[in-house]
Amino acid sequence: MSHITSIMKKELREMLTPGSVISVVIMVVLFAGLGMMINGEVEKAASLPTIGIVAEEDAAYYTYVDEEGVTQEWNPVDYLKYIYGDYSDRIVVLNVSTSATDSEIIEAMQSQGVTSAVVFPSASDFRASMDSDTAVTVKQLYVYQPTGMFGTVSTSAVTTVLSYVNSVMSSILIYEGGYDDYEFITNPVVYSTASTGTYVNGEVRTGISPDSITNTVTSQTLMIPLVIMIIIMMVGSIVISSMGSEKENKTLETLLTLPIKRTSIVAGKIIAAAIVGLAYGLAYLLGMSLYMGSMASMYSSTGTTVDLSSIGMALDLVDWFLVLVSMFLAIVCALGICMILGAFAKNYKSAQTMTMPLSILAMIPMFIIMFSGWYGAGTVLQAVCFIIPFSHPMIAMQALMYGDVTLVLEGVVYMAAFALVTILITVKLYSSDILITGLGQNKYFQKLTGRK
Amino acid sequence: MEALELRDVRKSYGEREAVHGISLAVHEGEIFGLIGHNGAGKTTTLRMISTLLTITGGSISVFGHDVATEPEEVRRIISYLPEDAGAYRDLTGRAYLNFMAGFFATGAEKEAMVARGMELADLGERIDSKVDTYSKGMMRRLLIARAIMPNPKLAIMDEVTSGLDVINAYEIREVIRGIAATGVTVIMSSHNMFEVDMLCDRVGMIDQGNLILLGKPADLKAEYGVDTLEEVFVRAVKG
Repeated sequence: MSHITSIMKKELREMLTPGSVISVVIMVVLFAGLGMMINGEVEKAASLPTIGIVAEEDAAYYTYVDEEGVTQEWNPVDYLKYIYGDYSDRIVVLNVSTSATDSEIIEAMQSQGVTSAVVFPSASDFRASMDSDTAVTVKQLYVYQPTGMFGTVSTSAVTTVLSYVNSVMSSILIYEGGYDDYEFITNPVVYSTASTGTYVNGEVRTGISPDSITNTVTSQTLMIPLVIMIIIMMVGSIVISSMGSEKENKTLETLLTLPIKRTSIVAGKIIAAAIVGLAYGLAYLLGMSLYMGSMASMYSSTGTTVDLSSIGMALDLVDWFLVLVSMFLAIVCALGICMILGAFAKNYKSAQTMTMPLSILAMIPMFIIMFSGWYGAGTVLQAVCFIIPFSHPMIAMQALMYGDVTLVLEGVVYMAAFALVTILITVKLYSSDILITGLGQNKYFQKLTGRK
Repeated sequence: MEALELRDVRKSYGEREAVHGISLAVHEGEIFGLIGHNGAGKTTTLRMISTLLTITGGSISVFGHDVATEPEEVRRIISYLPEDAGAYRDLTGRAYLNFMAGFFATGAEKEAMVARGMELADLGERIDSKVDTYSKGMMRRLLIARAIMPNPKLAIMDEVTSGLDVINAYEIREVIRGIAATGVTVIMSSHNMFEVDMLCDRVGMIDQGNLILLGKPADLKAEYGVDTLEEVFVRAVKG
């Protein structure tokens, strides 16, 4: 038993290093943060949305006499505020007339901070339709806002509200009696995808709901962050392990005494790993495109997707080139970080644990982008994502679909600068003692830890 | 001009000074041995000569080139063989020599260099086997061949026969003797006093980062009135 205990203690000492314990703690914190993020997104999606109304606020849209013989005037704004109850402040009357064009309404929505609106006809037109037994078509307009996995603009909330409007009008008509058109009295107020318009990429697209855009974009980009994370971790692991292996076999010492410039050694290692990384990346992208193709056909068969090219969201050749550049630079940044981390690895085993910071750096943006999306994330999370270079290829595809080329270019410039700095640091490290002696013999590290 | 000159060389790791002002010169064509116990500062000194470690104080010059200010010139004329060094395991012996020769020459010159390396390694058909199938002795022969084939002016070898059996150690000593005969200067470190006594023209003894003795093995033995370098070392250290 004591032998088992001795061996067990030795194994535990070897396995429970400060590095591995810290990594586990970071993972716990990361997943706790992820849980909060998902919860926040779900709450945001489930809460009652603010709806803009285009209607004549004080006009009588319909007049009827109730059971007590009192004449009642029905107005959609009053009715919607009534059904919203305590949340009636979320019914916002837009400052445009019922005869305004879609563009004017969108402008009003943007200036009044709402992303969905219900457009009623004028009170006189509404009354006239009711009097002539003709159903009224109510238009829905949305300003599309890109979001993550859970954060969709809730069109269902709007259609629910409209179903109440239809239902109450139907009840009033049935109460009044005298109608023989069953179709009309059960559906006096109609709304459909055909009467839906979504403002996206500078234009109002009729017949397209924001949910269908979100479904399409999500089906095509959801796995991208995961793929990028896998590539970064794989390439990082290759480089760090190679460094650890070179140190363990002392081939690095030999290499450093050959008549070659340090920059050549660093550049050779980084370029080789970047080529491998890019090859992996392209292979994964190919697999992804096949996957996305099947996903798209699945969604299109259910009618929940849109043709992105028809709404100006499909990627063109320049966009794909930018995605590839973004991915390549992210790989180079990862390699730069790995070369720095690898410089501190003593051997192959310690090199393996060195990949943990890289994995964590790749996982943080993956979770944020997958669950909140860049555009759904708050300022702090956006700042965190922007600082971590691997976020940029994860963001790039969605950003380009939304025409946000500036964000992608900013990312490319940032990553190029980041890669350059890491390469310069690596070259500096290759010219210093740390590569041979490790951190333990470094005077700054000694001062920091109090060791000699 | 001396092949190698160390002038008051110091090396500190943080606040700890590992080498305390060593001065010595190695003449062209000689085999010079650095001896001392573990942690005495031998490897640190060899690494400074090889441009792997920076020098905290003093200076080192190799055939007139300062290692601190002209490291690339120094690397062109030296060859360093670390203790327990390995080779790239996925390569065959021939491919490894070919890879290394590529840093020194091209074309026919490179081919001649590889041929020389294969002759020095003397691994027969096993030169085409993967390096990770080699025994320790075979690996050492391959690495020595790698170090010697570019015809360096100064060969720096750290514990070159450490861990080898009698036959392999003997053969490697013969290789070192052979290259010195061709005019290559060799500086080597060793724990094996017997080996140093047999092989080296002169020796320097290092203890706790200080050079405590310098001279020809025969002169040092005569000075201390003993038969072996081992006894010289023990007396010099213990007083």
